[in-house]
Amino acid sequence: MRQRTQTAYAFLTPYLLIFLAFWIWPIINSFWLSFLNTRSANWTFNPRMTWGRLLVDPAFANALQNTLVILVIQVPIMIALATVLATLLNSPALKVRGLFRFAFFAPVVVGEVAYAAMFRLLFNEFGIINKMLAGIGLTTIPWLSDPNAAMAVIIIALTWRWAGYNAIIILAGLQSIPEDVYEAATLDGVSKVRQFFFMTLPLLKPVILLCVVLSVIGTMQLFSEPFLITNRGGPGQATETLGLFLYRQGFNAFNFGYASAVAYTIAALAIAISLLNLWLGRERE
Amino acid sequence: MAGVTLSKVVKRFGSYEIIHGASLEVADGEFVVFVGPSGCGKSTLLRMIAGLESVTEGDVSIGGRVVNDVEPAERGVAMVFQSYALYPHMTVEQNLSFGLRMTGHDKADIARRVERTAGILRIAELLKRKPRQLSGGQRQRVAIGRAIMREPQLFLFDEPLSNLDAELRVQMRVELARLHKELGVTMIYVTHDQTEAMTLADRIVVLRDGTIEQVGRPLDLYNDPDNQFVAGFVGSPKMNFIPALVVEGDGRGVTVELAGQERTTRLTQPLAGPAPEPGSRVVVGVRPEHFGDAGKGDADLLVNVDIVEHLGGTSFIYASTAGDYGLVIQRDADGVADAAEITVSIRKSYLFDENGKRLR
Amino acid sequence: MSGRSSAQRRRNILLHAALAPLALIWLFPLWMMFIFSTMDDNGIFSPHVVLTPSTHFLENFNALEADTGFIRATTISILVATAYTLLSVTLTSMAGWALASYRFVGKGVVLATILGTLTLPYFVVVIPQFIMVARDFHLDNTWFALIVPPLFNSLGVLFMRQSFAMMPSELFDAARVEGVKEWRIFLYVAVPLARPTLAALSIILFLHSWNNYLWPLLINSQPAMMTAPVALGSLIGLTKVSWGGIMTGAVILTAPMLVLFVTLQRHFIAGISAGAVK
Repeated sequence: MRQRTQTAYAFLTPYLLIFLAFWIWPIINSFWLSFLNTRSANWTFNPRMTWGRLLVDPAFANALQNTLVILVIQVPIMIALATVLATLLNSPALKVRGLFRFAFFAPVVVGEVAYAAMFRLLFNEFGIINKMLAGIGLTTIPWLSDPNAAMAVIIIALTWRWAGYNAIIILAGLQSIPEDVYEAATLDGVSKVRQFFFMTLPLLKPVILLCVVLSVIGTMQLFSEPFLITNRGGPGQATETLGLFLYRQGFNAFNFGYASAVAYTIAALAIAISLLNLWLGRERE
Repeated sequence: MAGVTLSKVVKRFGSYEIIHGASLEVADGEFVVFVGPSGCGKSTLLRMIAGLESVTEGDVSIGGRVVNDVEPAERGVAMVFQSYALYPHMTVEQNLSFGLRMTGHDKADIARRVERTAGILRIAELLKRKPRQLSGGQRQRVAIGRAIMREPQLFLFDEPLSNLDAELRVQMRVELARLHKELGVTMIYVTHDQTEAMTLADRIVVLRDGTIEQVGRPLDLYNDPDNQFVAGFVGSPKMNFIPALVVEGDGRGVTVELAGQERTTRLTQPLAGPAPEPGSRVVVGVRPEHFGDAGKGDADLLVNVDIVEHLGGTSFIYASTAGDYGLVIQRDADGVADAAEITVSIRKSYLFDENGKRLR
Repeated sequence: MSGRSSAQRRRNILLHAALAPLALIWLFPLWMMFIFSTMDDNGIFSPHVVLTPSTHFLENFNALEADTGFIRATTISILVATAYTLLSVTLTSMAGWALASYRFVGKGVVLATILGTLTLPYFVVVIPQFIMVARDFHLDNTWFALIVPPLFNSLGVLFMRQSFAMMPSELFDAARVEGVKEWRIFLYVAVPLARPTLAALSIILFLHSWNNYLWPLLINSQPAMMTAPVALGSLIGLTKVSWGGIMTGAVILTAPMLVLFVTLQRHFIAGISAGAVK
């Protein structure tokens, strides 16, 4: 290949300008902002008002705790479900495959607002979920006004929305495993269940780790669900997440400095947790 | 008009040097083949002539003009690639005319050239097809056709036949030779297949590890190789190499003793140059076809027969000596006895010094 | 023989018995979204469980239109998503081509920067973006604000780079030797060959823009410049509002994407699995 710097930049520059203006510059700018007191008329350097406040702000601690609770419960459930779904959907014996795929993959294309509205209505105190619970003789649950139940609704909604997405990725991973590995195992008399645990899962590990990392990053930024389904993190602050907290600080209180410190905390946590996962899932001797 | 000159051409990627100063003259109208094992730099050299790779040091000239900084298109060359590089979304006709259309050629002229090209390569009935509807040989023709369309003074071929099966390869080889005669232009051809090189080339350039080992006409390389590498590379099956020690030598010749023989086997060769010191290591090269009946050559070898391959007219004996050196011996079919041990003579041999350089 | 096939049959039944109820649960919210969009609020909150459509869809739509100007919002969404997709595909495939096809000064830095910042949360940039667009340049509530800042997304660059890099480079070299200009090689050789990838990328980008919520919510808060998700979201949580209308809006936002998904499933799935394996 000849070196063609001019030609390359002719193709690259239009995108690069946008990338620098709306991605790289904000990343840098946001870091700088996180040290500024933006509550005064002149923004001045005062990290005590941002990073310092993070350490002592109970509202931040609450949002952090809620986010981690959702993360710890929702991500494992969803990834396990997605793995099982992908395996079942990959079975050659499956009938009406198209319909099954549609059922689980369709939520991927449903927008946040539409699905949030839907779940808010389904889990309304007088909504159809409670009607069905009552119909089979169970007690109804004040889904959106009980703190724990509200958390459960968020987790259910997230799982509905994202299990299929992860199943698609895992399915792609499954389909890249050569068929003859299984044929050899079948000839050796290894049962299907054992094949799943001792062949499929180890071979899928990199893909599953990728799904975990993507889900962690997504969960750390959770915003629309608590904003719309549980009415801005309700009841009280029971489902307030870091994303929602940032939104409030940045765009209700217009405290850009503090919100930027929150943003960097989210980023740092997302990267740290992802790295921890990759480290736990690393290839061992 | 379109001779090519390389003078001390060097190619480096970063600190990694691929071509170590290659110099070569290709005359106008000549068919020159670059041959060598994979990784020897032959394709890189070709791509530098095409302008697809930049020249780190030295000069590449085409038709007397240094073209180091000239864009590929302005060098007046056409190139045929190993993978054919046909545009899969275009018909044969569009493939042929794409370059000319994109550079604003006159439409009538393009049509004339398509017709001429299709005539030369006998692909007129394929013009409306897409590449995936063609056989390997047809694709190859179209790829060559695309080169002809440019009416270049210099054709470059990068292993154009290596994706074809053996039979087609022979057929296309004949066609390429015909094409060269018909067009009368300079052609530079890269291959790792020494048979292609031997049959097509006016001159062969043997490369190894980024260095030109020898340049010459096919039979000259075969009969008079400069070094052990060229001797081993040209000719099929390969030349046999037997280690030996110099026993004595003077201004007129040298006597060596072959290693690994049951009986002491000595061989004497005339030398024009000085003989190596007695006791120094040399290598004796013998082509499979240069073995003869016992007692009729310069020296006799007693060998164990491992396997005999009968090809009809000739047979190949795969044999080993007491020192466990494998040998390939070519004999007439009726000259092969069904024995575990035979004695053959060396009718003609080459001597190489320890570094592989030919002793003449 | 028969023992083996009956075991297989048992397994098949088990497979479907496990998947079918799960699939019904998964379809339930979408089905109810459609059912609710045809009910008035009395129907939605009646004490009975009703799983079949009613007849109030148009009524609901009129309520929705009166509350938010949903037709205008949807038109804005269509235009924005279309413009965004066209622009993003153009910019990112050009950039992807440059990164796949040329050696040039700074290539390593550009690639490392894109890859290194890929997984940074969007929240890190949203505040400065907002300050820059709304405060410094007063471009809030404009088409520019909706379309241009989200173009930073580097998914297409990596996606297209991968696609171009997998094409045999001899194809492009052949054109180069023939004197074809680089931008023509890109346009007439590379882009036509990348059509499947471009389709998958376009679909993902369109979906992305169509469903985008946070940025339009922040930057275009005036009713006249709201996108459909923002307009619909503004109704959620209001006390005096038609739920039937909200569900109608949800159906209008969702149905076209579902139709696209069913007809172009292959491209969707290619886009999603490639998008994840960035």
